[in-house]
Amino acid sequence: MTDQNPTKSTEGGIAADEQPRQPFGLPSWVVAVLPLVLLALVIGAFVLTSPLAGVQSGEPLPDLTISHTTLPSEDTIVLHVTNNGPDAVTISQVLINDAYWNFEVEGASGDQTLAPMESAQVVVPYHWQPGWDIHTALVVSDGTTFGHTIVAPSETPGLTTDVLWSLALIGVFVGVIPVALGMLWFPFIRAMSNRWLHAVLTFAAGVLAFLAVDAGFEAFELAEEIPGAYEGTALVVLGILGALLLVQSVSAWREGRAAAGDTRASSGLWVAYLVALGIGLHNLAEGLAIGSSFALGRVSLGAFLVIGFMLHNVTEGPAVVAPVARDERPSWYHFVALGLIAGAPVILGGWIGGLAYSPTLGAFFLAIGVGAILQVNWEIAGMIRTQGGRVGSATNLLAFLVGLGVMYITDLFVAL
Amino acid sequence: MPSVDYGTAEEVTRTLEKRLVERLQSDVTATRRSVLGGIGVAGSAALGVGRSEASSGGHDDHDGHGGHGVVGEFEDADFDPHEYLTAFNTGRDGQENVRQDVYEEDGRTVREFELTAVDVPITIAPGIEFDAWAFNGQVPGPTLRVVEGDLIRVKFSNGSRHAHTIHPHLRNLDPTMDGVPQNGPGAIAPGESFTYEWIAQPTGMHFYHCHSMPLKEHIHRGLYGTIIVDPEPDRVRENPRDYVNYHGPITDEYRDELVEIARSRNHEYAENDDVNEMVMMMNGFDTNFDGDNEVYAANTQAFAYGVGSTDGKGNWEAGETKRPIQIDRNQLQRVYLSNVIEFDPINSFHTHSQFFDYYDHGTTLQPTLKNVDTIMQCQAQRGILEIDYSEHEPGLYMFHAHQSEFAELGWMSFFEVV
Repeated sequence: MTDQNPTKSTEGGIAADEQPRQPFGLPSWVVAVLPLVLLALVIGAFVLTSPLAGVQSGEPLPDLTISHTTLPSEDTIVLHVTNNGPDAVTISQVLINDAYWNFEVEGASGDQTLAPMESAQVVVPYHWQPGWDIHTALVVSDGTTFGHTIVAPSETPGLTTDVLWSLALIGVFVGVIPVALGMLWFPFIRAMSNRWLHAVLTFAAGVLAFLAVDAGFEAFELAEEIPGAYEGTALVVLGILGALLLVQSVSAWREGRAAAGDTRASSGLWVAYLVALGIGLHNLAEGLAIGSSFALGRVSLGAFLVIGFMLHNVTEGPAVVAPVARDERPSWYHFVALGLIAGAPVILGGWIGGLAYSPTLGAFFLAIGVGAILQVNWEIAGMIRTQGGRVGSATNLLAFLVGLGVMYITDLFVAL
Repeated sequence: MPSVDYGTAEEVTRTLEKRLVERLQSDVTATRRSVLGGIGVAGSAALGVGRSEASSGGHDDHDGHGGHGVVGEFEDADFDPHEYLTAFNTGRDGQENVRQDVYEEDGRTVREFELTAVDVPITIAPGIEFDAWAFNGQVPGPTLRVVEGDLIRVKFSNGSRHAHTIHPHLRNLDPTMDGVPQNGPGAIAPGESFTYEWIAQPTGMHFYHCHSMPLKEHIHRGLYGTIIVDPEPDRVRENPRDYVNYHGPITDEYRDELVEIARSRNHEYAENDDVNEMVMMMNGFDTNFDGDNEVYAANTQAFAYGVGSTDGKGNWEAGETKRPIQIDRNQLQRVYLSNVIEFDPINSFHTHSQFFDYYDHGTTLQPTLKNVDTIMQCQAQRGILEIDYSEHEPGLYMFHAHQSEFAELGWMSFFEVV
């Protein structure tokens, strides 16, 4: 298309005196609102005349999801239920191991009927046997059943201060201590040449990339348990992209400040905080998983696993401090803050998971962690470039691979 | 010298045992999240925070084990399983929703009934509706009660959206009246009607059902009912051997005894009034189309003859719609029982603290099983139970299917002996 009017500026808007007249001399706000008014009219007409009545057939099927269960005591089963369908659903009866059982529906405005997207708890007084699977099913008013099997049930610990305290302690061991230990490499990293420092940075990027992949798969896996009405997969995608874009926009704003001469904004400390934030978000999701496993009574055992996690997380320490290796050594409180931002969210996540577990929350936090990590890797690449390095050098690529490999191996300790 | 070295055998057993245990353990796959849970335990174990074993309030606490059974009451105003128990349609009297008549024709008593197939939702457990196909809108269909040798005339109209038939479990000599799609009028199309005529024979406890295809669905949806053919005392006197599985001499006393039993079984004789007679059809409903029943019952409604609530210590209450069958201990109890279950090959009937006489198919006047507390019936099998509670203390006596699964899914009931 050729420019018909070269005198008109395309940058910075159009001069006021050239503003085109609105049709029929209407004020511009009327023109802005008019499409919305017309849309409302069209929707109203659609609802009133229901032009699709001829092609619609059948009724929407009832659709319930038992997102998860909790076992607060050995004589109670609690099923957490969400109505996914477009119509209200009435839970008429409850089957436990193929037998009708007493129950109460809590949280559905006092009755057994769930409005669309409404959630409720079905509380069943049933004396279950630890370790023996419980097959549950909700029978709704038209006889449709919605089943859920509680595999190897064990009691969900109530949230006493003891539990909160022990979750905090686990968080310290799994999150804070390993990250702090990893940060002790700081003097060693400082003494490195640029080439090796960049290798350490790409190693950190490899570590993060592995975490992103791992958490990403987990988020999508968990998304399948999310009630359909909440669009689990879309929620995970939104979480990943949302976190990525949010952190990136903050970063872009920081770059703008740095370009304008703000020295604080251009320092490596900023990147270090971003890395800590990304790792922290990831560790929040990790803590969430720990807390929710606790809440769901999913128990297997081993102090060995704590050791595995410590090994796994200790690599996060150097990743946090590597960006400040070329700057003036930051004050001690920055190190404390970086360590806490990266490690302490395990505790917070543990509490959230223990208090208010839901697959929706779990998948969303995991997704946010993934998005933040991806942005941090972007940031690390940029940092290497501004320091005159080449991201794709052989050393850096191998360091990235080593980062992936180390995480895979330490992950085995956890997954065994 | 034993052929087995016990030490070796013990060793082998232990090895096999260990292998089995290991295999079972490895079957429990550990997901990452389940492993993460382990950390929680490891941490809490380190702190001495364990699961509280005593938190459940003790194992002998009845309430702690929760109550089984369906929650809520039935709201189906069209069908009452308590009324159904003793609603016999004889042509002379019966249910309001069954048009019927009795008259003589060519020297034979004709009992005429009008049955209409309709599609109707029925309540099978509190709050659970099932889209049934039903004779006269009820499941089971109306109980037809006739006397041996009568002509049963059934004017059938099809008000359903599907084609149906009525197939009688009687000795029927006319193939066109067999009620199958391949013979006679075939399947009666929606909006059409046909009059079936059957001779009432043999005496006993029989039933009728739709025989359209697919058979499973047409029966399971509710198109069935009971036909009771009462023995005719004069015929019994003339041909006593037709009514007993007995090969010894027939004395006059024995003949009189059989006639007396026939009078007790025949609704037209005063002797029959001394007996409390009930009809129970054992049925079930697959509500989610998985080929397995979600609800089992005697007469359609789960636990309808159960107690409303109980603390398990003798303090119980009847519900509005769920209540025990009250019986007079001074009366003989006679249950006309049939099994119309689909998706399960057999069903059963078991009385607690009680033994009874059983007449398989009800075609004999002497019990085919004496003094039993459990009988089983395959699909379409039926029989008569005679139960005597005269020596029992008043109170609740349970009876149910002794397939525990069926019992817990609704086929569990009580007699309240007063």
